[in-house]
Amino acid sequence: MLSMTSHNLEFGRSGLDFVACGCSSNASYLVRNSSKGVLRRVKYEFGARKWLCFRRDFGSCRVVSTKTPEAFVNENPVLMSAAEQIFSAGGKRMRPALVFLVSRATAEFVGLKELTKEHRRLAEIIEMIHTASLIHDDVLDESDMRRGQETVHQLYGTRVAVLAGDFMFAQSSWYLANLENLEVIKLISQVIKDFASGEIKQASSLFDCDVELDEYLIKSYYKTASLIAASTKGAAIFSGVDSDVCEHMYQYGKNLGLSFQVVDDILDFTQSAEQLGKPAGSDLSKGNLTAPVIFALEKVPRLRDIIESEFCETGSLDEAIELVKSCGGIERAQNLAKEKADLAIKSLQCLPQSAFRLALEGMVKYNLERID
Amino acid sequence: MMSMKCQNLDFSRLGPDFAAFGFSYNASFDRYMIGKRCNGVPRAVQNGYGAQRLFCFRQDIGATEASIEGVAPIPAPLEEVKTGSRSPISLVNLFELVADDLIILNNNLQSIVGADNPVLMSAAEQIFSAGGKRMRPALVFLVSRATAEFVGLKDLTKEHRRLGEIIEMIHTASLIHDDVLDESDMRRGKETVHQLYGTRAAVLAGDFMFAQSSWYLANLENLEVIKLISQVIKDFASGEIKQASSLFNCDVGLDEYLTKSYYKTASLIAASTKGASIFSGVNSDTSEHMYQYGKNLGLSFQVVDDILDFTQSTEQLGKPAGSDLAKGNLTAPVIFALDKEPKLRNIIDSEFCESGSLDEAIELVKRCGGIEKAQALAKEKADLAIQSLQCLPSSSFRLALEEMVQYNLERIE
Repeated sequence: MLSMTSHNLEFGRSGLDFVACGCSSNASYLVRNSSKGVLRRVKYEFGARKWLCFRRDFGSCRVVSTKTPEAFVNENPVLMSAAEQIFSAGGKRMRPALVFLVSRATAEFVGLKELTKEHRRLAEIIEMIHTASLIHDDVLDESDMRRGQETVHQLYGTRVAVLAGDFMFAQSSWYLANLENLEVIKLISQVIKDFASGEIKQASSLFDCDVELDEYLIKSYYKTASLIAASTKGAAIFSGVDSDVCEHMYQYGKNLGLSFQVVDDILDFTQSAEQLGKPAGSDLSKGNLTAPVIFALEKVPRLRDIIESEFCETGSLDEAIELVKSCGGIERAQNLAKEKADLAIKSLQCLPQSAFRLALEGMVKYNLERID
Repeated sequence: MMSMKCQNLDFSRLGPDFAAFGFSYNASFDRYMIGKRCNGVPRAVQNGYGAQRLFCFRQDIGATEASIEGVAPIPAPLEEVKTGSRSPISLVNLFELVADDLIILNNNLQSIVGADNPVLMSAAEQIFSAGGKRMRPALVFLVSRATAEFVGLKDLTKEHRRLGEIIEMIHTASLIHDDVLDESDMRRGKETVHQLYGTRAAVLAGDFMFAQSSWYLANLENLEVIKLISQVIKDFASGEIKQASSLFNCDVGLDEYLTKSYYKTASLIAASTKGASIFSGVNSDTSEHMYQYGKNLGLSFQVVDDILDFTQSTEQLGKPAGSDLAKGNLTAPVIFALDKEPKLRNIIDSEFCESGSLDEAIELVKRCGGIEKAQALAKEKADLAIQSLQCLPSSSFRLALEEMVQYNLERIE
């Protein structure tokens, strides 16, 4: 199921080229064949952001698809459809891409020539966990749309969604265990625990105007940054780099993740439903108070009243959104995103210069550009 | 919250006596009661499984006092267990050997699950207090002690205890999600978590418990056990899928039923017993035997559960009778009956659209020997389980493990 939108074919022959695990938003897991001398740019859904994909110059290397859908093939047709639904619905595959980029960036460090099968398996595990959490999240939030398509539970019912999510969590746990690396097992198990804690934290503080920035950051860590940090650190562990570098990779992932979440939260205010692929302002309407709102609450007491009313009056949600925008909540959130982004970039300093490190920096910038 | 009905006070003075921990189905969570020692007065407790009597003996070792709060001294392994006149085995009897282990477990579970959030706490209460037998952790502790003897281990390790907690968390999480998947309203005579708190809370509570157990598992730092238990979680999901895919499918054969029962029930029990022996440090043959014990006990247990769904009343079951069949989940009695009775197939294929057809189907199953054949199957697996215990030295713990098997069979006598 390959569908790549290729634009601007460019030729490049830098020393170390690599095939990025990029994917177009309309394909499921792609296998990219390297073809010598072709640098491709792939257009992404998020408003013409471009992925620079370099091709690998080490023999016949290929970024293999994550094969996750195969795990479903023999099990059950409904589950298969559910998996298709979520896998094909335009995920950016950002997390596996990070795993691969960090793997290669750190591999260089220790002279590793090729990604190990642990690296690849780690990426699959990460994406399965991420996907499973999305499926359950949509059940928990009662969301109907994700990435412009109906959610799994909207289409197939809650039961299938719960089962599909459970199955994916279970598969990823099993693959994780069979990686036989205790450090990584503990790392990822912590993430799964953090996911659940994050959901609980969020569920417990809906419409709670006393939520502070710290609490928001913790929740964002649990829900988003934890997995990304574990991805980047895990990749480094499998490269066999020393623990300082692993720790830096962790910090990179964590701060990238936080920055990413803040940007997502900003976009919920600034983008249209069409761009978002789901209703705009849905965080706020559900009582999930994110960075822009938290900042705005400091300035505009009226906002508190509206939120506490849980938007029972028509038009109050729109009024709240306006208030958030007009009092600088968005700008301050942008600063926060940038602050975390800077920390992420700093953590990359320990890596030698390479195309991969550059791409990792590019990730950080790409994220910020979403709110330019 | 004690509620004991005392009947038939028996006096008995055999060697080391011990205080039994009993529980009744109508008690809440703190129901592992410790019979206070009153000189010479043992108590009998009636528990939920139809008037089985527990004989409680009092401890005769120094000035020991069993109290609910404190941890009772671990009774020395009994040289022989005499119960006077042979009564049906009760779980309480079996569990008394590991009763204080179970108390510690209960306390830990409550604090692990309830710590974060009041809704979770209530959900946890709901399921933890709803009469669970704690069979799986009891098995972990019994096997731990039985195998520990083997290697001269004097007490349970913290890994043993943590394994018991992990197992019970996984089991409980699976029940919570199962009830969402089956859309069940009642379990063990109480409303299910999702009925009370909504689907979202149930999904979240289940996820949280799975996550906690994965984390504790990882921190046990034993790769073999980590892989063992991860396999179980995978099997659970596979079992659910298998079941969901074959509802009302009259072509399901016995093998498929056993595979599904393995995934859904026996896998966890087998991993519990094997894991316990791994932490005791026994050799791999013994671990393998413990695995087989758990697996066959689990299969036997599932078959008995499936029989009871036909033979017990709603009140006894704590949920509507015949609900497996009603949902299209075809179990051993039905599979055997389908061999004999073609009419049954038609009724099942109709998915009970006609009123009265479910009752008719249940009748057919009973009439044509489906129950009896299922009973034979349960016994077959039970025998295999007993066989696997041969590798253990004789002890009160091994005896208790054998009696677990018997207890299960007695449920269908």
